[in-house]
Amino acid sequence: MSETNTRLLVVDDEPIVGKRLKQVFDKIGFAIETYTDSAAALAAMAEKPFDIVVTDLKMEGIDGIEVLKRVRAMNPDTRVIIITGYASPDTAELAEQEGVFAFLAKPFRLDELKQVIYRAIESGRAKA
Amino acid sequence: MALRDFLKGFSAQRWFTPKACRPLPLVFSQFREVLKANNQALEIIADMGEKLSGEYLFDLRYVESTVEEMIAAMRRAIAAINVLTQDQHTALQEVFTPMEARIRAILNKRDDRDGPPLLWLTEIEDRHWPLVGGKAAHLSELLHNPQVRVPEGFVITAGLFHEILDLNGIRPEFDRFEQLLSEHLPDEEALEALRCLLQEKVLRAEPPPGFLATLAEALQQLAADSPRALFLAVRSSAQEEDMDFSFAGQFHSELQVPPQAEAVYRAYLQVAASLFGAKAIGYRRQVFPEGGTMSIAACCQRMIPAKASGIIYSIDPMDPGSQSMVVVGALGQGQAVVEGQVPTDFFRLGRGEAPQVIERVLAAKHEALLPTGNAEGGLAMQAVPNGQAGAPCLDERILFELAAVAIHLETFFKRPQDIEWTLDPQGILYILQSRPLLITESEKGKPRLSEKLEDYELIAADAGRVAQQGIGAGPVFWVETLADLKEFPEGAVLISHRDSSQYVQVMHRAAAIVTEVGSPTSHMATLCRELRVPCLVGVPDILTKVVPGEEITVDAEDRRIYRGRVVELLTYQATTSMDLHMAPEFRMLRRILRNVSRLNLVDPLMQDFRPEGCKTFHDVLRFIHETAVLELVELGRDDRCLPGGLARRLELPIQAGILAIDIGGGIAPDAPRDAIPFAAIRSIPFRAILQGMLFPGAWHQETMPVSFRDMMHSMMTTPQDTLSGQYTGHNIAIISETYVNLCFRFGYHFNIIDAFCHDVERDNHIYFRFLGGATDIAKRSRRATLIATILEAFDFSVKTRGDLVIARTGNLVQSEMERTLDILGRLIGFTRQLDVQMTDDQAVARYAEAFLMGDYGVVAGK
Repeated sequence: MSETNTRLLVVDDEPIVGKRLKQVFDKIGFAIETYTDSAAALAAMAEKPFDIVVTDLKMEGIDGIEVLKRVRAMNPDTRVIIITGYASPDTAELAEQEGVFAFLAKPFRLDELKQVIYRAIESGRAKA
Repeated sequence: MALRDFLKGFSAQRWFTPKACRPLPLVFSQFREVLKANNQALEIIADMGEKLSGEYLFDLRYVESTVEEMIAAMRRAIAAINVLTQDQHTALQEVFTPMEARIRAILNKRDDRDGPPLLWLTEIEDRHWPLVGGKAAHLSELLHNPQVRVPEGFVITAGLFHEILDLNGIRPEFDRFEQLLSEHLPDEEALEALRCLLQEKVLRAEPPPGFLATLAEALQQLAADSPRALFLAVRSSAQEEDMDFSFAGQFHSELQVPPQAEAVYRAYLQVAASLFGAKAIGYRRQVFPEGGTMSIAACCQRMIPAKASGIIYSIDPMDPGSQSMVVVGALGQGQAVVEGQVPTDFFRLGRGEAPQVIERVLAAKHEALLPTGNAEGGLAMQAVPNGQAGAPCLDERILFELAAVAIHLETFFKRPQDIEWTLDPQGILYILQSRPLLITESEKGKPRLSEKLEDYELIAADAGRVAQQGIGAGPVFWVETLADLKEFPEGAVLISHRDSSQYVQVMHRAAAIVTEVGSPTSHMATLCRELRVPCLVGVPDILTKVVPGEEITVDAEDRRIYRGRVVELLTYQATTSMDLHMAPEFRMLRRILRNVSRLNLVDPLMQDFRPEGCKTFHDVLRFIHETAVLELVELGRDDRCLPGGLARRLELPIQAGILAIDIGGGIAPDAPRDAIPFAAIRSIPFRAILQGMLFPGAWHQETMPVSFRDMMHSMMTTPQDTLSGQYTGHNIAIISETYVNLCFRFGYHFNIIDAFCHDVERDNHIYFRFLGGATDIAKRSRRATLIATILEAFDFSVKTRGDLVIARTGNLVQSEMERTLDILGRLIGFTRQLDVQMTDDQAVARYAEAFLMGDYGVVAGK
């Protein structure tokens, strides 16, 4: 289950999300970085590519859809997962168009997110 | 009130209230409505509870919206029970209104405002936590723990703090201050000015009228119970203190305070004003950048005249993998130790089975912090007499006693602990504080945890579901019957087939719990979350994979179980800086659930089993459910309500004489009108019971010879004695596809089984009641004890009163329900006439053993 080589970035303005996911994914061997500020997260991504990005949808400043757009523009191989408490069908459709890998509604089981992330890794490998 | 009178009162109220008969299908549909609304509310509560397991990611918005849904479902349930009982329980609404208000106060973080100004530590319950602050809350938990001694005392609550703010006109400044703290970039000058103003105003604040008298009374009581001249330690207990952040040393403490109300009040004001101390506010802004509500309470405890004091860490924070613990101590009061004013002795102890001192470094302790000896109190640094300075501050016996307490508290709080202790001149050890020990392990050169874990044998992967997250290791202890719990050792891992809320008895001692069946929404799971016991449920065949006594490590995060003690995982747990349970989201949800999901109203035989006895939402739902079931039970008892035309005779290989009334899907549509065979029964729960009754040998056909004395006894019984009189009427089964209400009236005893069973676990219940018999009360009671013993072995929760047995179980998956109902069927047959044979107390154990072994023939003397 070691995922030592997978680089994961999480951005969510609620601090608990990053703290929690760091705990969970550190333990199983991911290289994870977490941010509460989307601008800082994008700056980090500009420096080095990430395999997977987990982003909140509604954030002050740059929101999740914008994060998705910019990540895809920077590195089309990065898989983006959006986590949100309130996804309208419109935003979901928009995110689909922009190439989101998956949508996950809060609250979710950590296991569900893990599964989605494993799928994302698989799809990355398949493509490679 | 004599038990007998009470039972009569009970039976009169519940069993024999004459009521107009309503059509059965109508009543049943109303019953289903109650169940539906009840289940919706319970589901939401369970759902919220499940979020506390740590398995989920949720935010405050989730909490707010879910609370609204829950309140709406509660209102529906209350309305539905009043339809079913024809408005017999309108009092429920009155009981519910203040409960709802309380939940809203928690959502608005205003639940630290209402309550008494003073609470004894012994009085503190969970619901008082916001009122007494984190430190006092933890102390009260310790106080209820028989294995530690805590100095007696009381808390001046946050309620009083708010009262003082209002009374002294400080509220506007306080509100403004909270507001500023929550701003992203507040006006620093205004903030600082306000901080100083608040500090000054609080120091000069007048007490509310009557408070000093209340305080004097409490001090008098404390002095009366105190063996020596009383002095007090007045310490802070702020809202957030010792929760997710320790606030260690941030607030003021006053020690050796003389026991006069005025002096204690002044000391209290010093403590309260320190909420606005520059240091404390600086710290608060770091840990709560988003702001939040503030308040402070103060613990006032008897000062222990300390011979020695210090700290014990339940694991060595510098080397968490080393399995050793660390003690530091000095002579006199511990304040000098925590503030680093005196040199201390250092001891390192091994955590193995036999305690041992691994390392001992003694300091020259020339000074100690001791009472001045003045009536005005106070402490001062004083010279230690020559010859004592070099001696260890603790002898080996006390060291080992301290080590045992530390290990116990670590198991109790499920995390390594940082414990303040003090030793009185008689050599009695007191615990002053226990808080989570923060450990940070250096990341440098650390191989990844996941790689290290590959060296351990994995007993189970993707094992079951998480009822409570966490990691625990210890020797395996199998629990097969509830009696096993009495032997449960400190720090063991509880392994059992089924989950049971009875395990709460040992949760403080358990390192983890693993069951083969069960759900993360069961009562046991809720209790695990409250007590933070790592728990996996639904792990198939675990009993065959581990043997009692062997060490295992349960990782209830990644759902894995390892053979042996996985030190790396335990270290990982101890060094993870984030204690999830202390995050604001978790604490808010937990506060709400405390007022919602706790079940106080357990026993329908108790006098408080009425709307006024309900303290939580769950109590209300429990009352509603029980009332609804009894409504049906009563209906089944009342011959007037059973339309003869509906009742159909069963044709069974045994002479059970049962009439069945089908209210929907209980009998195959093509079954004959009369003499219905077993094969035509479609009701899931009824079929399971019949299966048990028909089990070879379970239903003995022979008639028991009843002695002349027994016969005389039952004939002499006064007609008013409704509990042992003869019951007349048929054996009636009211059934639907998913429900059975079975009333047996066998001569002199009366037996009810009410069960609901389908594929949604949460809906499933079994209610069993057994009463009476033809023999004298001693024999009847023995049979009741026998039945209770057997039902307990099958994880029922059981109450007995004389010859009355009430047992319940539920929240089981359908297959477990059917298995349990099958057992009940056998039990009915087995115990039918058994009271006759209950000639001595040994018979109880003998027959229970026989039944559990499947030896049903013993009844017929075979």
